[in-house]
Amino acid sequence: MNNGLKSSVPTDREVILGILNNSEDTLNKLYKAYYAMVLQFILNNNGDEDDAKDVYQEGIIVLYNKIKAGNFELSSKLKTYIYSVCRRIWLKKLSLNSKKTGSITDYEDVFAVEEDLEHHEEKDASFEKMQSALDHLGEPCKTIIQDFYIHNLSMQDICEKFGYTNTDNAKTQKYKCLQRLKKIFFQP
Amino acid sequence: MRNDLELDAIIEDYLLGKLNAQEVDAFEKLRLNDATVDHKVVSHKFFLASMDEFAEQLRLKEQLNHIHSEIDVESLAATLRPHPSRVVQLWRKHKSAIAVAASFVVLSLVSIYSIQHSTQQAERYRQLSNRVNNAIKTQNSLIRNIKHNNATSDKPNNQNSFGGTGFAISTNGYILTNLHIINGADSLYVQNSKGESFKVKSVYTDPQNDIAILKISDKHFNNLSSIPYTIKRNTSNIGEMVYTLGYPKDDAVLGEGYVSSKNGFVGDTTQYQVAISVNPGNSGGPVLDNNGNLVGIISGKPDQTEGAAFAIKSKYILEAMRAIPQDSLGVNKLTANKKSLLSGLKRTKQIEKIQDYVFMIKAY
Repeated sequence: MNNGLKSSVPTDREVILGILNNSEDTLNKLYKAYYAMVLQFILNNNGDEDDAKDVYQEGIIVLYNKIKAGNFELSSKLKTYIYSVCRRIWLKKLSLNSKKTGSITDYEDVFAVEEDLEHHEEKDASFEKMQSALDHLGEPCKTIIQDFYIHNLSMQDICEKFGYTNTDNAKTQKYKCLQRLKKIFFQP
Repeated sequence: MRNDLELDAIIEDYLLGKLNAQEVDAFEKLRLNDATVDHKVVSHKFFLASMDEFAEQLRLKEQLNHIHSEIDVESLAATLRPHPSRVVQLWRKHKSAIAVAASFVVLSLVSIYSIQHSTQQAERYRQLSNRVNNAIKTQNSLIRNIKHNNATSDKPNNQNSFGGTGFAISTNGYILTNLHIINGADSLYVQNSKGESFKVKSVYTDPQNDIAILKISDKHFNNLSSIPYTIKRNTSNIGEMVYTLGYPKDDAVLGEGYVSSKNGFVGDTTQYQVAISVNPGNSGGPVLDNNGNLVGIISGKPDQTEGAAFAIKSKYILEAMRAIPQDSLGVNKLTANKKSLLSGLKRTKQIEKIQDYVFMIKAY
């Protein structure tokens, strides 16, 4: 297992180009390449597998967004970058749960990633906001909105799925839902 | 209400580019003329952007979850998780460092072994009584002797004497120290931090634990005020910060460190190993923790290791105190029950308080 993971480590250039081109395969390889590293770090610093999954995915998302935003300069190895980001995220979680952060066992070099994480936190906050707005919306509105905006279903599909007599009815329903969602979303 | 919905629909179609040119023209005119419509367009644009981003992040998360499900987390975790045994854990973390350290340890063990066997030393470790003018000393100590002689050249009665440290265990002049300092001495004196000397006599010795109790038998001695430190009944843990005050020279010297091992030389359970660098003359000095509890008595150090010392555990102090007539110690004796007067004080204040209770022992 371990060896299998290591053998497929993509080069840093491959990863960046792959992500810019929305390559699922690259993301897959990237994810599997460095998961063990972060898992080891978390397990040895008061965390469990679930913590490792959350932290690692958050770290990958930070990297993904940074590459997508087009301002990623490869000033270090990707591995070091991912490790630093995950380490920072985990330390923050530990201190939020006021667990001890006394001595952190490190396995890799670390460099400062504060700025990227601040940016990520802003983004995450707006993600959470949309998520909670959707959760407050209730059914069937939530599903209609998700189907249309996230899963990109056509109004025709939605009309059939929810059993509306015609697309106009479905559309009206969608806009009613949308109005409510926007109201919740823009609430201060 | 109906109009509102239609307006929303048009705004969305406009933003998604689904309107034809004519409709766009008409709508843009409306937007120019009506500030509320314009405001709605802007906010909907922002909303759509947020939604897009949300959708993208959501898809990414789903994708990552999918990839994650392909990984055999359990077996991976099993190999990476901190091993239940600390030894394996340490080994993993510091493989190379341990390898280097191990070779040093082996090397030093071999040399210690060979030295011990070639000289057939009776003593297990170097006792820290300050033996002045001893001819059979190593070169290092010799240098110290010369210095010592220079410093005290105007004290002729210092010849052939032993020096050490002791501390008060009662206010009426009982002092506890190491037996090896006073062993075989003709006359014993103690000197306090102000430089006053008092004649003392030995009232109790415990050769097994290397403890001796002295009693000041001098008329000029005034009773001390109450003892600031207390005895720690429990054994201390490794890593606990401790310090000692002793007389390796004519002035009191502070040594700070931590308990580095629960046992002394070759596993001697009556002693701790402490990481305090001590010198001849520190013997008999009290080892106190940060709260002013007496943890032990400095009694020796390993021959080959720098910066380490052995301290007799505090419970043997209690044992020694029980061995002498209880009435003689008076009411204000050292106990384990009281709260230490030193607790919560800064180190400088603690030293100020205890220095009157730590004596230099002089054995002639």
